[in-house]
Amino acid sequence: MSAVLESKSKVSLNEVALNCEVRITALLGPACERLRELGFCEQMQLRKLSNGRNLICTLCGSKMAISRELASHVLVAPAH
Amino acid sequence: MSAHTEDIATIALVGNPNSGKTTLFNALTGQRQQVGNYSGVTTEVKSGETRTPHGRKLIVLDLPGCYSLRADSPDEKVALDALAGHLPNHKKPDLVVCVVDASNLERHLQLVLQVMELGIPCVMVLNMVDVAEKNGLRLDPEMLSEELGIPVIPMMAKAGKGLLELKQSLRHPFPPVANALKFKEGEDAEAERRLFIGKVCDLAARRPGSQNCNLSDKLDAIFLHPVLGWHAFVGVMFAVFWTIFSFASVPMDLIEGGLSALAEWVGSLMQEGDMRSLLVDGVIGGVGGVLVFLPQIILLFLFIGLLESSGYMARAAFLMDGLMSKAGLSGKAFLPLFSSYACAIPGIMATRTIGSAKERLVTIFVAPWMSCSARLPVYFLIIPLLLGENEGSWMQALLLFGIYVTGTLTAFVTARLLRNRLGPDQTPQHFILELPPYRTPQWSYIFRHVLDRAWSFVRKAGSLILGLSILLWALSTYPKTKSDEPAEVLAHSAMGRIGAFIEPIVKPLGFDGRTGTAILTSFAAREVFVSSTAILFRVQEADDEEQTRSLLREKISQATWPDGRPLFTPLSLISLLVFFIYALQCLPTTAVVAREAGSWKWAIGQFLFMSSFAYLASLLIFQIGSLLGF
Repeated sequence: MSAVLESKSKVSLNEVALNCEVRITALLGPACERLRELGFCEQMQLRKLSNGRNLICTLCGSKMAISRELASHVLVAPAH
Repeated sequence: MSAHTEDIATIALVGNPNSGKTTLFNALTGQRQQVGNYSGVTTEVKSGETRTPHGRKLIVLDLPGCYSLRADSPDEKVALDALAGHLPNHKKPDLVVCVVDASNLERHLQLVLQVMELGIPCVMVLNMVDVAEKNGLRLDPEMLSEELGIPVIPMMAKAGKGLLELKQSLRHPFPPVANALKFKEGEDAEAERRLFIGKVCDLAARRPGSQNCNLSDKLDAIFLHPVLGWHAFVGVMFAVFWTIFSFASVPMDLIEGGLSALAEWVGSLMQEGDMRSLLVDGVIGGVGGVLVFLPQIILLFLFIGLLESSGYMARAAFLMDGLMSKAGLSGKAFLPLFSSYACAIPGIMATRTIGSAKERLVTIFVAPWMSCSARLPVYFLIIPLLLGENEGSWMQALLLFGIYVTGTLTAFVTARLLRNRLGPDQTPQHFILELPPYRTPQWSYIFRHVLDRAWSFVRKAGSLILGLSILLWALSTYPKTKSDEPAEVLAHSAMGRIGAFIEPIVKPLGFDGRTGTAILTSFAAREVFVSSTAILFRVQEADDEEQTRSLLREKISQATWPDGRPLFTPLSLISLLVFFIYALQCLPTTAVVAREAGSWKWAIGQFLFMSSFAYLASLLIFQIGSLLGF
């Protein structure tokens, strides 16, 4: 049941607290293909490091900066 | 290039940006192509040759980095065209070497799988394994090779480790095309690839459960901090300018002293006459006037190399994104604009990494307003004059910093206006930037790069500037008059006549005919202004032994109008500085703009706009300043 709830998560990366480990559940919008190319794929785990105009997060050992607008297209759920 | 020769195989280096392709290319071919620790250093295909351990020759192509085979930006399209064999001077590669950063295997494997699906034989280079293992990754290259069905070579391209093993894998016959991997078409293929990558990484590249805070994280806490980050950015930039002024003075004095001694020695060997004047005033005065600024050019390239190599550039782009957005640009435009501080040509080439065509055009348009290294000799000539030679070097550094800020801010305002005029993008563009880990600078590469640039500067002084110096000397010497009065000699010469013709145009800017002529010659190359000034003002004082040995700056500061008023007042010097900040005086830049923008109209429009802007800005400064009594 909890797995179903997680997969339907409406929480975007913008809303996640700092230093939280999350798992990507879905990507929305026309930029999702570009996000996947850069490694933001469904089921990938990431950690948010900073807020602001652009967010910084770590993803598979890389540090990525993405705009808040783009981050709103990344839906996430708790990693564990 | 023998790229067309059928029996020589071509191999292409493909990979995500900043995975070490160019470092590997340099190691394979012995070339010195530019490398840096940020995405998008390589924007065009580079070609070189290497040999297998059995002596077989191979053509190596270094392709721009790309995240996928779906071209999103011009540099990615170049990579895609190269793989498809659509580039005019290169045939389709016979083998692809996929370079992946071992620390980011999950992300980089997506591109590897797409390349394998093209049906070209592949070899995978697992680069920077030392860094990955230091980060706790447990890599199993053999397992990776087994799962992917292609040879996998662990490497440290920077140190040349694994190079021999890679060359062994490039021997004939090439590895067969991996047929085992077949993914469905469409969206399912993406999901299948991801599942496959997850499985492969679980088996052959296991990550530690938790990641500790490393040095990069600690440095980022400062450099990416919303307040501390800006302090650090301004501090770094100011330190660069201050060091350029303070550290360069010793070698500059040595070069200046050497040139004076050389001029004196040559003068003492020869009798008074045209030949002596040509060598002492034309050649040594003209070329030497520019060569004296070599230490500062070297320091500028050294600092830019350090910033590029360390990983700080991407942080600066991240910080600048907010400011750039006010100019209608994104942080991605910062890297090409920053490169333009060294030279506008690589800066304009680097705009290929910008996805939005409109943003790219605007960046190309304003890039020449980032003060390039060719302007430095002019600034270094004028700034001490403006402040007086007794001023401390930090004041001169502050003024130089201000000059760079003026050019940059004007570029931003113009970019904003132009961006508004061009309208929004058809598809919205988002800011995404990879922040690479900080790395120890590649000193050997930096020193080689600095030496190359220094040699290029000396070569330019010995060719273009020497030629123009001789021409200027001839124009300012002939036709001769019977008078020995230097002012009359100059007035009677061809240069004097050109100056008299130009003077009405430049006088409203605060310049006389000689300065106007020197500005005119600087449209061939900006540095020529210094040579021209040296020759033109030396002619006036040529028969005064003591003053012939004195510095060019002293001569300029002593120059007067015919009525005895000083020629260079602080106001006219500011007007001159402003002209050089804004004028586009570089023909190669105009040619590159025409190529990159795909239109000569755009390049000529840019040249006319920037030249007119420079004239009007200088005019306003001088006229308003004069009205206010300065």
